Parts: sequence; structure tokens; C-alpha cells
Amino acid sequence: MRTAKTWAALQRVRRVSSSAFNAASSTLDSISCRARIVAHNPHVNAFVHVSPPPSASSTTSALAEKSIAIKESICTKDMPTGCASAMLHDFRPPYDATVVRLLREAGADIIGKTNCDEFGMGSMNTHTIHGPVINPFGTSAHYSSSPLTSNAHSNPPERSAGGSSGGSAAAVAAGMCYAALGTDTGGSTRLPASYCGVVGLKPSYGLLSRWGVVSFADSLDCVGVLARRVCDVRTVFDALNVYDPRDPTAALPEIRAMARDTSRRRVNEIDWAGGRLDGLRIGVPQEYFPSEMAAAVIAPVQRVLAALKARGAQVVPVGMPSTLYTLSAYYVLASAEASSCLARFDGVQYGTHVRPPVGTDLSTSGVGKLYAESRSAGFGREVQKRILLGTYALSAGAFDNYFLQAQRVRELVKRDFRKVFMMQDYRQEVDFDVEAGHSDGSGAGVDVLLHPSAIQGPPLVKEKGLGGVAGYVQDVLTVPASLAGVAALSVPMAAGDAGPVGVSVVGQWGAEELVLAVGQVIEESF
Amino acid sequence: MALECNIQTRSSFDRKHYFYSDLPAGYQITQQYGQFVYRSSFTHLTITLAPIALGGKLAITLPNFPSLEVRIKQIQLEQDTAKSTFNPRTRTSHIDLNRAGTGLMEIVSEPDLRSPEEAGAYVRALQAVLRAVGASDGNMEQGSLRCDVNVSVNRVGRPPGTRCEIKNLNSVRHMMAAIVHEVSRQRAILESAPDPDTATVPQETRGFDEHRFETYKLRSKEDAPDYRYMPDPNLGVLVLTQARIQAVRDALPELPWDTRKRLQSDYGLSERDVEVLLNVDSGREVWYDGESRSAEAGAVAYFDRLCAGTGSTRRDPKVVVNWMTHELLGQLTARKETFKDNHLSVEQLGELIDMVQDKIITGTSGKMLLRHMLGHPSAKSTKEIAAELQLNAFASSSPSTTSDDSSSQSDALRELCREATVALPAEVEAFTKGNKNVLNKIVGRVMKDSRGRADAQAVRVMLEELLQ
Repeated sequence: MRTAKTWAALQRVRRVSSSAFNAASSTLDSISCRARIVAHNPHVNAFVHVSPPPSASSTTSALAEKSIAIKESICTKDMPTGCASAMLHDFRPPYDATVVRLLREAGADIIGKTNCDEFGMGSMNTHTIHGPVINPFGTSAHYSSSPLTSNAHSNPPERSAGGSSGGSAAAVAAGMCYAALGTDTGGSTRLPASYCGVVGLKPSYGLLSRWGVVSFADSLDCVGVLARRVCDVRTVFDALNVYDPRDPTAALPEIRAMARDTSRRRVNEIDWAGGRLDGLRIGVPQEYFPSEMAAAVIAPVQRVLAALKARGAQVVPVGMPSTLYTLSAYYVLASAEASSCLARFDGVQYGTHVRPPVGTDLSTSGVGKLYAESRSAGFGREVQKRILLGTYALSAGAFDNYFLQAQRVRELVKRDFRKVFMMQDYRQEVDFDVEAGHSDGSGAGVDVLLHPSAIQGPPLVKEKGLGGVAGYVQDVLTVPASLAGVAALSVPMAAGDAGPVGVSVVGQWGAEELVLAVGQVIEESF
Repeated sequence: MALECNIQTRSSFDRKHYFYSDLPAGYQITQQYGQFVYRSSFTHLTITLAPIALGGKLAITLPNFPSLEVRIKQIQLEQDTAKSTFNPRTRTSHIDLNRAGTGLMEIVSEPDLRSPEEAGAYVRALQAVLRAVGASDGNMEQGSLRCDVNVSVNRVGRPPGTRCEIKNLNSVRHMMAAIVHEVSRQRAILESAPDPDTATVPQETRGFDEHRFETYKLRSKEDAPDYRYMPDPNLGVLVLTQARIQAVRDALPELPWDTRKRLQSDYGLSERDVEVLLNVDSGREVWYDGESRSAEAGAVAYFDRLCAGTGSTRRDPKVVVNWMTHELLGQLTARKETFKDNHLSVEQLGELIDMVQDKIITGTSGKMLLRHMLGHPSAKSTKEIAAELQLNAFASSSPSTTSDDSSSQSDALRELCREATVALPAEVEAFTKGNKNVLNKIVGRVMKDSRGRADAQAVRVMLEELLQ
């Protein structure tokens, strides 16, 4: 086991490497990233496919020669997109997802495809045909920890990289890429970012195109961005934040512009460069510190809050009363949508076909057996579990009590967020705006919410008792922002005994600039 | 709008789930619930039924029956599925995905139809409306229009019986046959029941066997699948502004019953002629959103333009309709072609009609010219072609004609008459002896020699002159 001293030492090194970052970043070129993949991927298991190094390009665009890894559930025309599932193990899409196309157009080197939980379902990155992703933090694979290798435990216990975008987070943490794309349905970008000690952004729903991203739950799925520093996340996010008419859920340009302008106006009112945060209002939701939360998580959050206060920010406790129900509502809705989105993988038009045994009755009444064989063989246990759960939630008898009830909770969660933020929710239609919160007498709402990204540090890969509901509890802090579709960023804090933990900065829909600005301050405080 | 429905300004889409090879996504997008509406309190989330259109009507007519109004319950938008065909010889299914995912409009009528004939008339009337507004080419053979029919039987004076749905009927003939079979099947069940008062037909979904002309059971109510409807998370609310609805209403094309009325009252056409024109018109190509392309414009538009004539001179609609229905369509039929194959421009046929009307050519020449022009497509004007074929009529020998041209023509005709008298001395002799009937034979000879260019009456007059 690592000792507190080891972690503290790690942190010191992190600070050093952070200040000397330009030097470090220069070694994140496409060649050295591939070298690191060769050296460490056999252990970390972050990549499931690596592309050949690009021929030297002289482009000056934003992401020129930056190596970016792509989660295996995002389509790439020249690489497999298997979603870590036997169902799609041989799927090579004939096209690039919009986000991948935008990265290529910005000059990025698409370095490879990363491991994940099957179809994005999981919090540990253990439900995958490629085998679990091992958290590089504290191992020789960790990019910033190389000076400590000799001191590190020679054979540390394997910790989870988190899920479902665990491969993307681990690839960033191990310096195998400059940035990585993940997806985030209920925390799948923020949780692994928190566990691996990197920055992870779940942008507001509808900003980044989902065209070419394999659906898990359409109303919740977002493309997430992971990188080592907030400014790198911002660079990648800016390159991808483009309206895509091919995504029917893409926010319209005028709505994006309104939210961006309001957010930018607010950013300009605060003296970031001078190191002062006077006027910035940060809400801390009491409900986000559940009994399951490890004490080792609370202390660093308190330090972050103290640091922000010291610079003039106003920290106010806020109430998010619906938080208690969000996890159950999330699992009903996400599973219901998954049962629908994954219905296409029937082994006929989509997915691996497994022939039913000879002699199976495939007449009209027995035609279900044709699909059952392929779906039973193609989907892993967790995916099957959620499909069954979702199918039940949508069945005629259960619809009102489960699906509709969960929709009601989702509406309450949205209302919680709407009430607490100072900024308007531009997605709202005017008719429904009567309940806009900050007129409830408390004066102005808050700019951002701040809370831990996870209830604990990275669990051990072989940790007992994380199956079933205990595994789902890991998402308790990340699902509310998913249900509300708002912007959420996880920034690494000082890690204690429990390993890395992130702090989440959550802002109104479209308030990415504000969220990233606060995230950067937090990053610089350590 | 053509069906006088109430257009919903907000409607939304749901997913209907089932596994079948004609459904690539595993769900069909349809309009089941309508939208989620959050009332003043968020805990009172209700769902309102909101397909794109509600409550319309369509009048249908059957020969010798008063017109009947069929109520439209609703119109909903759906995704079409793939087309699957089964080859019994190879025992394999073929799936044509071309139409999978394209938009489909489901028009649901109230139970207002009482016979297979009424159902047939309803589908034809609906077909004509859909074609008129350009919503569909209405082609049932190609599957652009298909019907699901619900049939129930009850004793006189009793409430309607349990219905059975017959799915995917792809012609009016099949539909009517399916209804006839289904009615007799249900009657047989009810009549053979021990207690006719409590007898019911089991509720079923049935198919139609095109070879045996019978319906067969697909599934009973008990095995009705649970479609697990779910609001589609990818598609937002379809919002139609009043301005847009009004704009579409203002631009609505002429509907079939308006066309019929106009042809009868504006042109004074007989019901029979109207029927022929509308029937031919229904074969026209319907392009996307009813966009018309001149070359493919239908028979009614062709007729309208022929009647409109050139400049200020309008053509006589009755003459035009005769040329169109008898000559043009007749010749096309003789050539085993349809109106769609007609390449004669409105200008060409119009000029032909004018030439006959103005006696520049005779009616006989006109028909011949029409046949020639259909067989030899050309962009030339009818006048040029007539001249090439030397079809211009010999002007009648009216003494007032002074123009050199017509007098020379008159001379030519006189020459033909003279030749005929020389060629037929026996007939001439008989005529001079008082057998007036024999003149017809000499006239016939002249007509033959003139290749139809001469006016028979003028020839008769001229011959009488010559032989006196």
C-alpha cells in the first residue's frame, strides 16, 4: 500500500511538473505518445487500437500535431469502433463522427481508440471484452510520476480507472495522448477523470455533435473531453463546439450564442488575471455529501473552497432537494433509453449474427429466437441487465410507475438547477420560465456549483461489493448534471490516501466559459 | 388541410419497439403519446394525445347513392418500414430497405363505412386528394398507398361487433375482396354460435392471401406485442406556426371535387367527359410536394391550356374535349400508349384543332395528321408538318375568294374533278340520265384522289357544275 507520504510526495512532483509544464508538454508529441503506449499499454490497457504515426504536417491549426485518443464508441473511418462489445467487435464504420472530423480538420493526430465499459455502461471500466483498464496513477505508467518510479511500490494494487471512459482517462493520465474524447451519459467522463487525476468536461447537452457516436441513452449522452490541464480541455472543446445539423438534438446556433454571450459577460466581470474572484458566487449543495462519501474526499474539497474564499469568492450553501431521487431516476431513464437504442443490434442488420442451433423453430411465432441467440451472445452481463431493466420500465404495466415517474423526477432535478443558477437556462421555452429561481427572495443565484466528483478515490479493480447497486452509487454525484443537461467539469484536487479525487464545477447550460475559468483557478490553486 | 383536419401546432414523436427484419433500428418512430405537457406544478406531468392532425372529413360518392361523408379521426406521422417479400420457391425472405425510415402518413378514419364498395370509393377518393395535394403518388401496387382495414359485423339494431384488422392491403380490389371474405367469415362465426346474443368474433389481426383471396390469422389479441412506446429523445416537438399553416392553406392546389365542379360549370362538359379527363389525369406523375413539371402535367392541365388557346382566342371546350378524349386518347390507345407517353405539345395539338376549325385542313386530314405526328415526334409546328405532307385542304370554290392562292387551289380541285369525270364515263352518263345517287361515287373518287384534303360538299357542288 502507498502511504500518505508517498501521495504527498507525488503531489509535490505534480506541482513541479505543473509549473514546468511547457517543457513537459513538448514531450507529448505523436512519437513519444506512441512510445509511451508501447511501454505502458500492456499494463494499463487504455488503448485497444493505435494508429500509425502521421506523416509530418506543417499545419498551424489549433490542434496541429496534437495526439488525441477516441473512445471506442465514437466512429472513426479507419479504426475499429467496437464499443468494447462482442456485438460490434468487428465494426469498422465507413465514416468519421462529426467530432472526429472536426479534430482531424483542426490538424489533430487521431492516435487510437480507447477501452471503455461496453456501450458506456459501467463505472469501473471492467465490463469490457478488452479486459479492465488499470489506473496509471501511482504506477510507473503515470506520466508525472516518472521521477518517483523507484520510490513507488513495485507492485501496487491495481486501481480502477473508472468508467465508462476509463481508457480515455487513463490514456491522458499516462501521457499516451494530449487529450482524449470520451462520452458522458451519467458521469462516464467525470468519474474516470476524477479517479485518474485528469481534467474531464461533460459539456452542456446538445453542444457537441453526437452524430457518429454510438447511442447509449439519447437524451443524456454527451461527448466528453479529457486532458491534463483545463486549458487543453478548452482548446479541444472550442474546436468541437460547432452546430451540427446532422444531430437532431444539437442546440441551435442562436441559443448557443445567447448562452455563450451571457456566460462570457459574467466571465469578463471577474478579475481572473489579477487573482481576485470578488463577485463570483459559488454554491455548495448540501445534498452532495452523502453518508457514503469517504472522509478523504471531503478534506480536499474544503481546502479548495477555502482557497477560493481567500481570493474573494463568495461561497454559499444551496439546496438541491431532488438529489436524493436522481440516481434511481437516472437508472430507470438511462436503462429505458438503452433498451431502445440498443434494439438495433439484432444480429440481422446490425451486430454480430449468431446462428440459432439447427432445428430451432423460426416460424412467425418463434422468430424471437433468431434475435435472442445473437443478443445473448453479443451483449455482456451488465448490458443485458440494463436492457432488461429498461425493457421492463417501458412495458405497458410499468411505464407509469417507472418511466413516467422518473421523467417527473428529472423535471424536478432540472428545476433545482434552474433555481440555483444566476444565469438563465436558454433552452427553456418562455411559457415554462415562470419558476425561474433567483426571484425567490434569496437575491442572485450562484455562478457555479462546486462539489466532489466522486464519493471516493479509485476503487481497486478486484474490489468486492462493487457489483449491483454499490457500483451504481459511484455515479450519485455526477448524474444530476446529466439529467439536467448542464455543463460539468471535474478538476483534480490534491490526492489523499484514497488516491486522486476530482472536484466538480457545474454551471448553467452553455456556461462552459465560466465553468472552465473557475476550473482553471482551482487547478492553479494546487 | 385538404381533409379539413384540425392541424396541431405542436406534436411529437414516440418510438414503437418490436423486433422484425423490416425494422432496422428495432423501433419505429410514430406519434403515439403526443407531447409531455408539464402543467403549472411539475409533479402533474400529463401526456396529451397530439398527432399532427385531428378530426377531418372526406365526402365520397357511389353511383346511384347519395354522397357520404367519412369522418377522419386523426392523421399521424410515422416512419415507413422496409418492404419484405417472401419467395415460396426458395423459402427465403427478401428485404428492400429503400423505403425504411422514410416518412409515412397514417390516416385513420372513424367507423363510417358500411360496405366493401364504400370502402373502395373512400380509398379512391383519398387517393385522388393525396395526388392532388402532392402528398403521395397514391400508387398502391408500388406500396405508396396501403390500407389496414378494420371489419366488424353486427345484427341489425345491435351495437357494432368485435373488429378484426386486416393489414397491408395493396390494391382496392384486394381490399374489397378481403372485406367480403372477412364479412362472410365473421357471419359464419356468429351464425354458428349456440347463443347469437352473446356470440362474439375473437379480436384478431389478420393478413390477406392474394392467391386464395382469403384472410388469415396473424395474431390474436392475446399475443398482441407490448410495443413499449417511449417518447423519442432525439426528436423535439414539431412546432407549426399559424402563419405557416395559413401559407400552406393559401397555396393549397385545386382539390378533386373542385376540379370536377370547374370542368362541369366553367366548360360545360358532360359528366362522361369529366370522368374521362379525371381518370386520365389520375395517371399523372406526382412529384415531391406536388411540384408539377410541364412535360408530365396531367390531362386536366393539358385540357385547360388547350382551351385557353393563344392570345385572346379561346378554343371551344367541347371541340377540345372531343379531340382529346376521342382522337388523341383513341390514337394513343391504338398505339398501346397512355397519356403519359403523349409528346404532342399543347401548342401542336391546339394548332391542329385550329386548322380544322378554320377549314385549313379537313377533319379527315386532321386525324391523319395527328396519327402521323404521334408516330413521328417532331418539334416542328403543326402548320409546317401539314405543309410537308401537303394536307392543306382545297379551298371550297366560293366565288368571293379572290386570292390567287385559293383560286389556284380551287383550280387544282376542279382539275381533280375533271379527271374523275374522265375516269368514270359510265357513272357520268348515268348521272346525266338522271341517276343522282351515282354522284356519290364520283365524289368518292375525287376525295380519294385528294387524299382527304377536299371538302366533300365543295366537291359535290363543283361536280354538279361540271356535269351540267
